[in-house]
Amino acid sequence: MSSSTTSAPPPGTQEPPPAPPPRRRTRSPSPTGWRRALRKDWQLYSLAVLPLLFFLVFRYLPMLGNVIAFRRFEPGGSVFGEYWVGLRYVEMFLSDPTFWQVFRNTLWIGGLTLVFCFPVPIVLALLLNEVRRRSLKRFVQSVSYLPHFLSIVIVAGITMQMLATDGPINHVLGWFGHDPVRFIQEPEWFRTIYVGSEIWQTAGWGTILYLAALTTIDEDLYEAARIDGANRWRQIWHVTLPGIRPTMITLLILNIGTFLAVGFEKVLLLYNPLTYPTADVISTYLYRTGVESNSFSYAAAIGLFEAVIGLVLITSANQLSRRTVGTSLW
Amino acid sequence: MVSTIRPSRGYRVFQGVNGVILTLVVLITLYPFVNIVARSFSGEKEIRAGDVTLWPKGFNLTTYEIVFSDSMFWRNYGNTVLYTVVATAVAMVLTTCYAYVLSKHHLKGRGALVGIAVFTMFFTGGLIPNYVLITSLGLKNSVWAIALPNAISVFNLLVMKAFFESLPSELEEAAQIDGLSTYGILLRIVLPLSKAVVATMVLFYSVSFWNSWFSAFLYMDRTELMPVTVYLRNLLAGATGGTAAGAGTENLSQVNANIQAVTIVLTSLPILCVYPFVQRYFVSGVMLGAVKG
Amino acid sequence: MQNNGQLSRRQILAAAGFLGLATLTGCGSGGDGEDTKDLSKKRDGAMKNYRAGQQFKATEPLTFTVLHNDNPVYPSKKSWLFWKELTRRTGVTLDATPVPLSDYEKKRSLLIGAGDAPLLIPKTYPGAETAFVSSGAILPVSEYTDLMPNFQEKVKRWNLQPEVDSLRQSDGRSYLLPGLHEKVRQQYSLSFRTDILTKHGLALPTTWDEVYTTLKALREEYPDRYPLTDRWSTNTPFPAGALFQYLGQAHGVRAGWSYLNTTWDATAEKFVFTGATDAFRQVVEYLRKLVAEKLMDPESFTQTDEEAVKKLLGEKSFAISANAQELVQNYRYNLQRQVKGATIEMIPVPLGPAGPVVMGGGRLENGMMISSKALERDDFVALMQFVDWLWYSDAGQEFCKWGVENTTFTRSGAGYRLKPGISLMGSDPGAPKDLQKDFGFFNGVFTYGGSWALVSSSFSPDEKKFTDVMAARKELPVDPPHPLRAEEQEQATLWDTPLKDHVTQNALRFVLGKRPLSEWDDYVKELKAKNMDRYIELHNQAYERFQKENA
Repeated sequence: MSSSTTSAPPPGTQEPPPAPPPRRRTRSPSPTGWRRALRKDWQLYSLAVLPLLFFLVFRYLPMLGNVIAFRRFEPGGSVFGEYWVGLRYVEMFLSDPTFWQVFRNTLWIGGLTLVFCFPVPIVLALLLNEVRRRSLKRFVQSVSYLPHFLSIVIVAGITMQMLATDGPINHVLGWFGHDPVRFIQEPEWFRTIYVGSEIWQTAGWGTILYLAALTTIDEDLYEAARIDGANRWRQIWHVTLPGIRPTMITLLILNIGTFLAVGFEKVLLLYNPLTYPTADVISTYLYRTGVESNSFSYAAAIGLFEAVIGLVLITSANQLSRRTVGTSLW
Repeated sequence: MVSTIRPSRGYRVFQGVNGVILTLVVLITLYPFVNIVARSFSGEKEIRAGDVTLWPKGFNLTTYEIVFSDSMFWRNYGNTVLYTVVATAVAMVLTTCYAYVLSKHHLKGRGALVGIAVFTMFFTGGLIPNYVLITSLGLKNSVWAIALPNAISVFNLLVMKAFFESLPSELEEAAQIDGLSTYGILLRIVLPLSKAVVATMVLFYSVSFWNSWFSAFLYMDRTELMPVTVYLRNLLAGATGGTAAGAGTENLSQVNANIQAVTIVLTSLPILCVYPFVQRYFVSGVMLGAVKG
Repeated sequence: MQNNGQLSRRQILAAAGFLGLATLTGCGSGGDGEDTKDLSKKRDGAMKNYRAGQQFKATEPLTFTVLHNDNPVYPSKKSWLFWKELTRRTGVTLDATPVPLSDYEKKRSLLIGAGDAPLLIPKTYPGAETAFVSSGAILPVSEYTDLMPNFQEKVKRWNLQPEVDSLRQSDGRSYLLPGLHEKVRQQYSLSFRTDILTKHGLALPTTWDEVYTTLKALREEYPDRYPLTDRWSTNTPFPAGALFQYLGQAHGVRAGWSYLNTTWDATAEKFVFTGATDAFRQVVEYLRKLVAEKLMDPESFTQTDEEAVKKLLGEKSFAISANAQELVQNYRYNLQRQVKGATIEMIPVPLGPAGPVVMGGGRLENGMMISSKALERDDFVALMQFVDWLWYSDAGQEFCKWGVENTTFTRSGAGYRLKPGISLMGSDPGAPKDLQKDFGFFNGVFTYGGSWALVSSSFSPDEKKFTDVMAARKELPVDPPHPLRAEEQEQATLWDTPLKDHVTQNALRFVLGKRPLSEWDDYVKELKAKNMDRYIELHNQAYERFQKENA
């Protein structure tokens, strides 16, 4: 939208001016879309240079190391492996029934975490938003994210204490005449325990982003809705929620893309051989196999497998979101 | 927020329920923390008997004293502060610039730029290639080994980008007509309006760098360069093995009883203080209203 | 801060350079083409006639890099007398790379994997070196032990050849210099509240049957409590790892922490699968009985150590697994403060069907790997002699453990006494200095194995009593070597873990009564479905192959 450079027609002339000469004939055909873009937006591109360099050097360069998924890697030998073995490692894990079991567990736990952990910060943020007193709101909010700062070791420890046979939960069960249940030893309970502790640890922290988003909602919109006679509920429905929708969508897509990345350390601390059938995930399985330190190629192959899945997921989620809701990540 | 309509009864009931829910939230999130702080000041006998709940019992500062008396602890603590500040600064500059660029939909090649970033969310290099890279760049044993490899979190990047996209374009267009360069627009118009998200990102990055121990563990060869998280992690590992730094037998079991609690208090306290400062910037969108007029 | 533009260009160039270099050095390291046995050019600094029992002194000053496991109890200090005195006696300066104890293995594996490891890599447990063998990153030390007279002499004197042989890889060579012990040092066993036992007229049990009756009697006295609650169940793939280990030992089988999928059947002269043996079944049955009759707390297998000890201190239980250190510094110390008159003792491992035995292979301790880069150095021979003196000579080990005579210790008869003013692990709380923290001695990185006299010189009275009884027991023979080739190893690893998982999982399910023992045969069938037979076959083939090639 450059400013006009054509001068006013000479005074007095009323007939339609002759067809103006083409503004700025580009010197050569097609690829100059780039040249023009560079010339116009060079400042923008310059802002992107350092970050791009970061990606190139610190992300893409080491990525070349993933080639060892298809080569034999000897610890202490070349970083890129010794010789090609093709799809050997890929076949190895594809044909390993234990791999599929832990893969299933990873899907389950990741999926449940996504479904249950995603809405909670939103609801919490909305609830906080309805609190009138600012100081109270701040207090609750600050307290609610405290669990985020506890290391996973502590969270696991607290969880185990809660679930002990003489712990609080079993005490409550006792009031209802129930025998104590050893939750930690029951495979059926693991997913609930894991997701529960995840919610506890991340809900408060998740509200920060939504609360920041809530501050960007234009006050006038609330005023307008009020004038239109909307009560608080309708205000929330018509103003608040749409206001944080871009944030919600962004986070949802991001979470879908990364849902396979189930917390390794927490599972490791909460599981035991009795709960392997539901608790064992890909990362803990690899860890137990000692594969992580001894067979980098196998781990690299699995890593690539998970990466491909994640990438496909996030692109599909993005497309879907663009078509249905209109907002998307890119 | 002044309401001109009297809230309905239903709404007031809701307010009550809300209060109950939030109180519950406060209880279940605050209690473990208070308990840990209490334990860090409590005597071992009371801790082992399970007597400590909200208040310290058998108050003593033994474990704190022992940790504080180690000069390496202070040195490592200083490292953590340095690393966090430098890394957050680098991260914020890079992330903000790139997010701004990505938010300009008219930019040619924007899709590719986004793709370049998103791709790295899934595909990484693995321990050894990263280690070899950092070593060959000569970054080992320097603050840059921590600040550079994790300079941009794509998660934060995309969130920032979404925020920038939600800003009304009239503002920037007006500024452009006034002759401001892109840099000027970014600095003088966009950033002041984005205080909420910038503050959030500063918080996210600084917390993540503060708590990180892995990069330092990988790339530092000297104990005096380690951040305090590595120090405390090592202390914990030694403590659970039955002994702890600086403790003679008479203090041994006292330290064992609450070294974990002390660790948590020492590592999280400072960063907890950052949030109130950041919260100041979460002001409501008064700015936007001003522009409309 | 440097100009960003220049820095980034340098980064690019450096990155390109490293890429190019990496592709050029595509082959693994390890001097082929060079006669690795010709050491005539590598004798810089070496002693000409170095013999066992002789003080090693390099003929010129040398420096060697060593990986140092940094224990938070005694963080590494440059001012330690240990470093100074070492240089004075041997002419060698050690350049230590500190690694936090909390993640030692990970960093070690990374450094070796990236080709950046120091020359000497201590604190390596037997078995951990296998991963690095095929790359040629570490030295096949067995080829060079002729440079190490102290090592050879001890192996001969203490009959450790079978143990050392068990470390051989598929190429017939071994890659780890293990810590050598003259006698087995059993560390874990059961401990009881002796005051409670006396109160009810019960004697300390000596066999597992007596353990059962004692626990039963305790239960009758205290019907609302589990007499035994155990620990060492978290952060390990083998819950109740210690209990299973010494219980299994009494049955002649390796269980718990010491569990291995393969067991050598000496009568049949082949390997069998541990989890399916009768001995293992007996172990499981015994514990099942304890749990079923409410003599053992079912939570033992999943609770944290803290929980278990809390129950002991709260008098909710009266027996728990122990080692000498925990017994003295944790249980006894805390019990005395919480309960008046409480006494607790660790009994020698109760006897079982296998009689008074200890499992074989227990005389090897964690040891040292040497980087193959050492072979390329001109001071290689001196390095080997140095290692031999420091870690395997009596004088060297005494130095590492106790320090300098008349500075840190004095001799008292056949034993050692710390000089006044120096404390060791709390032996003298009022002392201003500590042997480990201030002087750098008794450091786990350098103090390995050794003669019984030396090892026992630091025992507490409890430990002495306990180890005297244990050391008198017969040591079962070591497994013969059965090393797998690299590709076989990969396949075996993939079978190994699911099998191990199935064994541990079902052992627990049987013990806790979640699965009736009548299903034992079904359990074995499930193991077969997980490739148990093929796995064992692989190891038997490897054993036969090794015999043939190295007869």
